[in-house]
Amino acid sequence: MATNRFICEVCNKGFQREQNLQLHRRGHNLPWKLKQKSKTEIPKRKVYLCPEPTCVHHEASRALGDLTGIKKHYSRKHGEKKWKCDKCAKRYAVQSDWKAHSKTCGTREYRCDCGTLFSRRDSFITHRAFCDALAQESARNPPPSLSSLGSHLFAGAGGPANNMTLGISSTAHSSAAADILRLGGSTTGGAGQFDHLLPPSTTTTTTSQQQFRNQPHLSPSSAAFFMQQDQNNSYQPFHHTLMQQQFSSDPNNAAGGGAAAANQLFNLGFFPNSSTNNNNATLFTNNNNNNHSGGGDDQHHHQMMMGSSTGGSVPLFSSSSSSVHQQQMNNMVAHMSATALLQKAAQMGSTTNSNPNATTSASLLRSAFAAGPNHNHNHNNQKSSSSQSSGEKQQHPPPPSLGSFGGSFFGDVDTNNGSNNLHDLMMNSFAAAAGNNNNINNNSSSMFDMEEGNHHNQSSGNNNNGGGSSNNKKLTRDFLGVGHVAAAVRGIAGTATSNISQNQQQQVGAALERSSSLDSERNNNNSMGSHSSFGGNPSFQ
Amino acid sequence: MAQLSPNPSNLGSPYPYLRELKSEERGLYLIHLLLTCANHVATGSLESAEVALGQISQLSAPDGDTMQRIAAYFTEALAERIIKAWPGVHRALNATKIKIPSEETMVRSLFYEMFPFLKVAFVVTNQAILEAMEGEKMVHVIDLNASEPSQWIALLQALSGRAEGPPHLRITGIHQQREVLDRMSHKLVEEAERLDIPFQFNPIVVSGGLENLDPEKLRVKTGEALAISSVLQLHPFLASHKNPNSRLLQRQGTLGELLLDQKDNSFDSASSSSSPPIGSPSSSQGKMDWFLNVLWGLSPKVMVVTEQDSNHNGATLMERLLEALYSYAALFDCLESTVPRSSIERLKVEKMMFGEEIKNIVACEGGERKERHEKLEKWIHRIEMAGFVNLGLSYYGMLQGKGLLESYGCDGYRMKEENGCAVICWQDRPLYSVSSWRCRK
Repeated sequence: MATNRFICEVCNKGFQREQNLQLHRRGHNLPWKLKQKSKTEIPKRKVYLCPEPTCVHHEASRALGDLTGIKKHYSRKHGEKKWKCDKCAKRYAVQSDWKAHSKTCGTREYRCDCGTLFSRRDSFITHRAFCDALAQESARNPPPSLSSLGSHLFAGAGGPANNMTLGISSTAHSSAAADILRLGGSTTGGAGQFDHLLPPSTTTTTTSQQQFRNQPHLSPSSAAFFMQQDQNNSYQPFHHTLMQQQFSSDPNNAAGGGAAAANQLFNLGFFPNSSTNNNNATLFTNNNNNNHSGGGDDQHHHQMMMGSSTGGSVPLFSSSSSSVHQQQMNNMVAHMSATALLQKAAQMGSTTNSNPNATTSASLLRSAFAAGPNHNHNHNNQKSSSSQSSGEKQQHPPPPSLGSFGGSFFGDVDTNNGSNNLHDLMMNSFAAAAGNNNNINNNSSSMFDMEEGNHHNQSSGNNNNGGGSSNNKKLTRDFLGVGHVAAAVRGIAGTATSNISQNQQQQVGAALERSSSLDSERNNNNSMGSHSSFGGNPSFQ
Repeated sequence: MAQLSPNPSNLGSPYPYLRELKSEERGLYLIHLLLTCANHVATGSLESAEVALGQISQLSAPDGDTMQRIAAYFTEALAERIIKAWPGVHRALNATKIKIPSEETMVRSLFYEMFPFLKVAFVVTNQAILEAMEGEKMVHVIDLNASEPSQWIALLQALSGRAEGPPHLRITGIHQQREVLDRMSHKLVEEAERLDIPFQFNPIVVSGGLENLDPEKLRVKTGEALAISSVLQLHPFLASHKNPNSRLLQRQGTLGELLLDQKDNSFDSASSSSSPPIGSPSSSQGKMDWFLNVLWGLSPKVMVVTEQDSNHNGATLMERLLEALYSYAALFDCLESTVPRSSIERLKVEKMMFGEEIKNIVACEGGERKERHEKLEKWIHRIEMAGFVNLGLSYYGMLQGKGLLESYGCDGYRMKEENGCAVICWQDRPLYSVSSWRCRK
């Protein structure tokens, strides 16, 4: 029995090797200072050199730490291998090595398709990645459509990992695809880890597969785990929901059907420049065409993948992605995204707003938009006024006047007549819009025209924007002319004059009636203007 | 409350044409109305806001198109903000609201499923951890919000494939609900057994937010390599308690008082956002600093932070609302492009996750407003000040993230690198960022 020369000072446990003692000491959660042993305490330790001059450990810098270690090393490296395993052909020089091996020999085996046997799982996995035999097999099958290294790597590790139990195949993930059956867990257990990613039908990524194979160094990754997981977790509700959309009778169209259906409602010709019903029809049929014919390789591929396998690898995930794809297409074709709408709103204001100093809500939107993706714009200038508009360098900081804050889109605050006209015009324009499915552009422009027209009708000059004297009557006419929203927002006490006319007050009262929402909108804006001022807040009752 | 649009009963006489509004026009109209209404609310013109809200409700709908949905949630938030001016009414309206934690967890996992953001974040996080832990024998990972077992299952699998064999892994998971942690523990232990990795899971239940976390409980041992993963957990620490809500919108609020309130607000948030010296008395700064200091004190070998990359912490309502409009428009667009409109899960995520966030951003102030998202560069600055050094993300990590995004199938998702951090965008709008840090000295 060798002496336990190394003693833990905390609990007095003894160890034969110093490294074991260190490991043990870690568990005591020693504070940092005590962790170090001072130089004075430790005597110079004996190290051992291998007597064999050609050995690496013959040098002082590569000396080994304890006697038994060096003895074993010498036997292993420079000694004769006298101990032989009975099950396999391995020979050992050190008896303890031999004993350890024979305990595990044959208990856990991984066999690659090429016939190599592995006892360690990790070496098995790494080998399979590069095994030539597998490369040939996979070259026969079209590789899957996953584009990244990581996805291959990981979906692999995730998938067959599930399948393999001790290298014995389980066909847990077997699916319709013969490939997957084979790969997911053949009885040889050597299915290509990465090939299970090859659901039948796919098109592309030969390149990625090859890329992958060419990479010399695979560090394990977690990327594809998530992809595979999606399949397992089955974003199926989504998938099924789509399947159940009654609009599509075509089973292949399941994914796109729902989307198409939902979008039919909006399929009234969203393209601003389209002006005929024909366009609508074309759009619609295009949608359908895409759905039914599975036009395009991607779609075809996706649908095939949908059909193919349900377990294991990519299919579920890509099925949802295929429907995603179609959904996306349909949605994009028929309907403007919210982001696009916001951008459009931001731009629209600029076209109708003559004064470059104006800080309309459109410009707000623009500056917010510009600040968002492009600049890391600090909106938190707490006391500075130009937080919004400073995103756009060309704008001067809006002056504090809030008078024009009554940025009424639709109405002339002062004259009822004017507003009525405006209101009627609005109604007409919308009605026109109703009648005519397609002329969005026309409608919007008519709105603008109308507003511009009213603009001119205004007695007061059109200068509510920013500049100096606030003129409550002058309201920015553009669609999104919320007026000096920025100014108001900053909470700066604008020196807006409040031209709160009697009209406005009455209108405020009227605003509460639901008789005319547009009217109230108008009045609303009137009171908005008045509120911007410091003095009276007539609508604050 | 947003009604289905168009609602025939409401549109009896006045505006039949509203029914005919095309989606695009309606969307533009909604934007305009929203901004008007927000303006009114910001300036305290409650009557006008009331009118605007009414108009929007005729057009918005939680089950309509993207803009309709967004408008619905934003107007709900604005209405909530208005109601807060009557604290009694507000309290009464919310008196019977029951928070079901399991619902929240469910919504969170729906968010995980339906968007690639968390997955990409996990992938990048795991890769950063893997790289930092190369050669380590004892690895301890602290997950500040342990809700998705898949993240750590992936890490386990990756570790098991390591060339030098897996390390001894210990994961400390923090969450508000015991059940979530139990489930996670079960799954992780099972996976680790299968992979033959020495593994230990320590659950920590913390109620009421991470600020109540006791660092002692983390039991970080000397000699082990520590990794911290924080996914969307840092921004609530920016919530300051300086401005109690009651001052928010006084009923008869004179404009002066209102402005005063906003000024205080702006002062407060500004001080927190412009990073004054660490010893600043501002409480919001204090909490954030305190927590980052706690993390720094643990001496992690790597800390991976995932946060939203949007400026929703502006001083004033309009700033926040505008930014939020863009951000949530992007998020709703994501859903629109990937999930059918009739999906209940989508409605749930929109309502219970995004709707609540929007409500928080728009209607709450001071300590209540937890959703203080900020831009990446602010986070970078803040974390640097706390004593960390940006490790940057490896090429391979970025590659994996991008690969995952591509395989997601929807090409609106993009990922780019900025200052050594990964930023996940929808079209051009950055939404989430992932960055990896280590302790300085």
